[in-house]
Amino acid sequence: MVGLSAGEKQFMHGGIAQDLRSDGRQRLQFRPISIQTGVIPQANGSARVTLGATVVIASIKAELGKPAPLRPDKGKVVIFIDCSPTAGTMFEGRGGEELSSELSVGLQRCLLGGKSGAEAGAGIDLSSLVLAEGKICWDLYIDGLVISSDGNLLDALAAAIKVCRFIFLVRFEISSPWQVALSNTGIPKVSVIVEASAEDQLEVNVSDEEFLQFDTSGVPVIVTLTKVGRHYIADATSEEESQMSSAVSVSVNRHGRVCGLTKRGGAGLDPSVMLDMISVAKHASENLIAVLDSEIAAAEAAEDDGS
Amino acid sequence: MASGPLETYSPSQTLERRHQQQKRKSFNEIDWARSDGRNFHQCRPAYLRTGATSSASGSAYAEFGSTKVIVSVFGPRESKKAMMYSDVGRLNCNVSYTTFSTSTRGQGSDNKDFSSMLQKALEGAIILETFPKTTVDIFALVLESAGGDLPIIISCASLALADAGIMMYDLVSAVSLSCFGKNLVIDPTSEEEACQDGSLMIAYMPIRNEVTQFTLTGEWSTAKINEAMELCLDACSKLSNILRSCLKENVLDFTD
Repeated sequence: MVGLSAGEKQFMHGGIAQDLRSDGRQRLQFRPISIQTGVIPQANGSARVTLGATVVIASIKAELGKPAPLRPDKGKVVIFIDCSPTAGTMFEGRGGEELSSELSVGLQRCLLGGKSGAEAGAGIDLSSLVLAEGKICWDLYIDGLVISSDGNLLDALAAAIKVCRFIFLVRFEISSPWQVALSNTGIPKVSVIVEASAEDQLEVNVSDEEFLQFDTSGVPVIVTLTKVGRHYIADATSEEESQMSSAVSVSVNRHGRVCGLTKRGGAGLDPSVMLDMISVAKHASENLIAVLDSEIAAAEAAEDDGS
Repeated sequence: MASGPLETYSPSQTLERRHQQQKRKSFNEIDWARSDGRNFHQCRPAYLRTGATSSASGSAYAEFGSTKVIVSVFGPRESKKAMMYSDVGRLNCNVSYTTFSTSTRGQGSDNKDFSSMLQKALEGAIILETFPKTTVDIFALVLESAGGDLPIIISCASLALADAGIMMYDLVSAVSLSCFGKNLVIDPTSEEEACQDGSLMIAYMPIRNEVTQFTLTGEWSTAKINEAMELCLDACSKLSNILRSCLKENVLDFTD
């Protein structure tokens, strides 16, 4: 994708070896991040993250749905990433599909894999999305859009999802005559409930006044370390990514626990280097979380001033 | 179907003994047995055979417990016309499940996620420079899915590649591990995978000491990642020896 001459390649490799990259950054330094929240009024939560020349938008929509039969006590989260051709000609037609699915899978593994089962969330508490067990839950649709691509899309998308913290779920009441009757008798007859719910009798009153805030601040951040030559760098630009041998994306939460890991690129890595990269990523994530927190605070302050 | 020698590749006893000692120290360890009677650090017996299909350049059949996989390798053959010129070879991977592979009848569709994971796990092991302008196709078919599908596909595919005579730096062997609270359970079955707290999968080239693919889900502390990696890498090295002896046997049969 990125055509580099032999001289440019050598310049980049030499710079990385001396801890001074082409744009003046050190190996583990991120590009400046800026955040705007609430950019999509129709969504329940949204954010735009600008990381150098990489621009992504994440939007979260909540819709009422039915829990999966195998997991009646859990809501659902669907992550979909779209690489728009506006970001570059390589995303035209089916070109973006491979990258889109790679990013979606990476985010799913890093943000959702966790406690009790592959579906459960380390960052998002799926059981808090359930309103009536086995019948109604919130389905969260997390959509990411790549507007401009200059490397490190995974980290930018994860940051965007993390700062979509202003998700307001509408609070509502469930009224159902037979359910009240059952709870009065105190006999949990599951079979009866199943029979009764064959016809969907649940009435849902959606109130426009009361809202429930769903907090995504527990969502981990992703730090991708890209190996170029013998060294690895954080927040690679697409020029640097074109020279990578392999990359490791580590998702780390606020408590410094690793929540997921994916490796990209075919080249092998020494196991000790791998462990080293994990600990470096953990360290880098502390800074990233601090930067995101201060950006969120700034965005909130700006919104308060505006209103 | 497994009639040949069944070999296991569980991590070494010294490691295990150390973990048992650790286990004794922690009193809040919940004791439970695995459904198939294995202990936590014991792998399922592995049965491997090359030459499962005759029309392919190379193929292999793997049976780990009740997970059964066939992998065929075709090529190197000319890349499709639409593809751009490339001075290194290409690898095309496809993983599919049979409709009867799971307990509920499946769609029998391709698994895109596994296909790309398989490609990434093997790409680093194959010397792609040896077949420019051409493509090697790897087709994996899961006959029966009973846990640890992806690592078994990866190990089986590297055996099939060796059978096809594709130049490789080393055989890739892969092992997965589940985490249940404090316990690390190696080579999980599908029931165990369904209720795990976290999982880890490593594809490894033991002679080059390189990890080609690594995935991790769930919440982990660094110490636990260390311990899990140590267990998996040890099991991978042993599995690699089994793969190697399977290839040697094949050659001996041929010369006889």
